Amino acid sequence: MARPAIRPTRRQFLKTSAAVAVGAGATRPFGAPALAQRPKLVYWCYQFLKSSDDARSNFAQEWAKKNNVDLQISMVPLKEFLPKITAAIEAKATPDIIESDAVELRARGQLLDVTDIYKKLEKTYGGWVGNSPKIMLEPDGRVHHIMYGFQGFMLMSRDDLVKEAGLTPPPATWVDMLAYAKKAQKLPRIFGMGIPVSNQTDSQVWEDMMKSYGARLADEKGKRIVLGDYKPQVWEFLDFFTEVWKAGVLPPGVTTWDNTMNNSTYQSGKAVFILNPITLSLWLEENNPELLAKTGHYTYPKGPKGLIQPVTFGSRAIMKYTKVPDLAKQFLWDSMEPGKMDREHGVSQWGPVLKAYLGFDVWKKKPFMKGLIDLSLRGEPQGYPDVFNDAWREQHTNTTISRMLQRLVVDNWSRDKAFVEALDVLGKIYSKYAV
Amino acid sequence: MRTRESLGGLALLAPTLLLLLGLVLYPFCYAIWLAFSDKTVGSPGQYVGLRNFIYVLSWPQFSAAVTNTIVFTVCAVAIKFVLGMAVALVLNQRIRARNFFRAFLLLPWVMPAFVVYLVWRWLYDPLAGLINYALLDIGVITSPIAFLSDRSTAMGSVVVAHAWRNFPFYAISFLAGMQTISQELYDSAQVDGASRIRQFRHITLPGLYHIIGVVLLLTTIQTANAFEPIYLLTGGGPSDATMVYTMLVYVMGIMNLRLGEAAAVSTLFLPLLVGLVLVVTMLLQKKANA
Repeated sequence: MARPAIRPTRRQFLKTSAAVAVGAGATRPFGAPALAQRPKLVYWCYQFLKSSDDARSNFAQEWAKKNNVDLQISMVPLKEFLPKITAAIEAKATPDIIESDAVELRARGQLLDVTDIYKKLEKTYGGWVGNSPKIMLEPDGRVHHIMYGFQGFMLMSRDDLVKEAGLTPPPATWVDMLAYAKKAQKLPRIFGMGIPVSNQTDSQVWEDMMKSYGARLADEKGKRIVLGDYKPQVWEFLDFFTEVWKAGVLPPGVTTWDNTMNNSTYQSGKAVFILNPITLSLWLEENNPELLAKTGHYTYPKGPKGLIQPVTFGSRAIMKYTKVPDLAKQFLWDSMEPGKMDREHGVSQWGPVLKAYLGFDVWKKKPFMKGLIDLSLRGEPQGYPDVFNDAWREQHTNTTISRMLQRLVVDNWSRDKAFVEALDVLGKIYSKYAV
Repeated sequence: MRTRESLGGLALLAPTLLLLLGLVLYPFCYAIWLAFSDKTVGSPGQYVGLRNFIYVLSWPQFSAAVTNTIVFTVCAVAIKFVLGMAVALVLNQRIRARNFFRAFLLLPWVMPAFVVYLVWRWLYDPLAGLINYALLDIGVITSPIAFLSDRSTAMGSVVVAHAWRNFPFYAISFLAGMQTISQELYDSAQVDGASRIRQFRHITLPGLYHIIGVVLLLTTIQTANAFEPIYLLTGGGPSDATMVYTMLVYVMGIMNLRLGEAAAVSTLFLPLLVGLVLVVTMLLQKKANA
């Protein structure tokens, strides 16, 4: 005969539960298990070139294992970084460490001071390369992000086609580049210059060109727009651009190209010259070595007033809401160790930021990587000769100079009208930050 | 007694009301507040009165965004309506493999927007695109057309891509409506000698008024808020020829981190969107009452 089930009363149930809980606690008198004690670190890793991304995330995984850290890595493409971090900041659920150029977050007080790491790295590894200090140091001497690599746009040239046209690469000036492009292109299959003139930031290479004609956007403090004082230089540049447009060296569609189209145009062999970071060459190395062998890598051609060669960079920063600042700093420090960086540079698009990295074998092994040394040593911070500040960054995102060019060729505006609109837009942007 | 009942009713409704207030009213009011503040990402923001509105109204891309949003919405809704109705009429007939075609129709709509618009970008590409290749091959054109990069064709091209992806919703909705109309009405009309067009005008259309109303209302709002087609196909270019307000909000709020300005753009568009919706509703109401 089955015994009837006895249901415990609520009081009995609570009593038993409490006794079980106390008993369970007593068996672990020295605190929670090691697994629960593992500190957690959330790391947003910049995603662009697979080999480089893998190298950095693999290091992070190994580091976490070695240091008993519960690491959560998210690979974030550059294009998605701002939307994601904006939401994270507003929700106060930020990662601990981020990889980006970090500048927009620094200005908004979202980053932890890492001056101590900056100084320690400088002292230990022979000092910083090129303009790294100018990029990292703020006017008050503090540092909020640690650069791990330079990158920048270079002139990539189909040297085989240039030589076939009876010319010697590289073209020395922008005017020479146009002449080369006209002669070396093979329409309608191969176009001379694969450069966007769209609303995407890669189109701002035209701003660099304009500056090599002697113009600048704002005064030396980066507060007041002075482009209006440089009308003759801008006019000369606009004449050059109009000539480029009329020569038919730009492929159809450049006015709506996104930041990948110059890459794909070159990869498919449809452009003689493009301006692009070395990421493309690393892709070619793996996927199209024949095309890489035909490709020359050079600094920008010069303008009438000299060379403007800007550099961008990759850097790591610690978000100010982190609960593990010391651990995050430890990660930043360990991730700059030369042995690790040597391995990483071999598969990455980054140029050296510390002098200890200048002796790495990779700069000798891969001829196309040599250009990165030159770029790192001589490259100026983005925006040069303008100050790289929030106002410059906003006009850059707004692609102000490329829009001025689009007015000329898409809307058939006069130079005066397009120039006046550009001045108005620049004035509006800079006046917001002038206070 | 009645008061007690009312209070009881209110108490039962309270959780839903609170949820609605939290999910709808709070974000709406917060967005309005943002428009009057200098809020940027990470900063609390201060009240700045109408400063954002003055800034946005003087911004060159704003007027382009107003015009383009209206053009894009009206054209896309019109094309989707005509195409959706035509396809629904065909699929309402007794044709072979009707069920297969009804399922097949949904394909563009269920595909991720990202994939659809990247495919369209490739189709439009002047150097490697299928459309140019075909047109050149059959001799219709002698040089490639930069569909997305020419001011005269950019908006049309974006509208076509958007309409292609979204017309199945119209077609399926109309088809569902058509199946509720009694066949006897058509039989009687046929006996009376009514042509197909007259049958459509006097039986099908009146029978669909309510569905048309709901579909137009929902999709007008959805189309005016469309972002992916512009972002993925043209980025608002060439020279702002396809700059719509959602793209402008994205640039100001996400790219430049200036949430106050972005909210001001959205707030300024609110009356326009409400106006569009009211016009659609009133027209349909008038027609339904007639």
